[in-house]
Amino acid sequence: MSSPADRKYTRTHEWISVQGDVATIGVTDFAQSELGDITYLELPEVGGALSQDQAFAVIESVKAASDVYSPVDGEVVERNDDAIAAPERINQSPYDDAWLVRVRMKDTAQIDTLMDSGAYDEFAQSATH
Amino acid sequence: MPLYGNELADDISPLEAGLSWAVKLNKGDFVGRDEMVRLKESGVRRRTVGFRLLERAGSARHGYEVQQDGRKVGIVTSGAHSPTMGSEIGLALVDADAAGIGKPLDIVIRGRPVRAEQVKLPFYRRDRA
Repeated sequence: MSSPADRKYTRTHEWISVQGDVATIGVTDFAQSELGDITYLELPEVGGALSQDQAFAVIESVKAASDVYSPVDGEVVERNDDAIAAPERINQSPYDDAWLVRVRMKDTAQIDTLMDSGAYDEFAQSATH
Repeated sequence: MPLYGNELADDISPLEAGLSWAVKLNKGDFVGRDEMVRLKESGVRRRTVGFRLLERAGSARHGYEVQQDGRKVGIVTSGAHSPTMGSEIGLALVDADAAGIGKPLDIVIRGRPVRAEQVKLPFYRRDRA
């Protein structure tokens, strides 16, 4: 399955999709597959600050607790409470229903340094062992 | 069941890990028998107890600190999500006087104490028809 072409990707397996200066952030299908059955999700409050490359959320699965890193600087304007209530949605629909937060970006140019879907798919392929 | 690396280690005796049924002091000598006799007579100072988290905060994992009344009384030796019981459960090695059904414990998860209750082992018994 190749990743959606309408967004950008990080080396830590997050995706980010931009509409104007608001970006939606989630984790990729590769990430949910590596994590296994997800049992718990912790997200920041609306109004919270995100810093590029800093952990802003925690996803716990049967296997381990994992940090989720922000691709950009910004402020949380919306968070997905449905995903908190039913974290298994991240396994089922990582690109749609289980978006994690929406962020007002400080600097939209930060998107430019991220991978597109082709580069990410290659990256994820080489990460599989 | 105690698992070496979690409930058993160089510094955890079989009596503390709940394995006294496997230590036969009346069947002749074995390496370490004198120490087992000494420990049995002086009383174990730590016990392995079962617990269940009472709040949603993720899973307790090996090495997490266990507190009671605000002070450290032990550590989590293993923890997991239980789909059968719909909660987070685990085993912890705690000071003997902190152990006992009805005595609350707090498991420190990502810096925050999370209330847990001690439960009788085994956690679950399948009903026999």
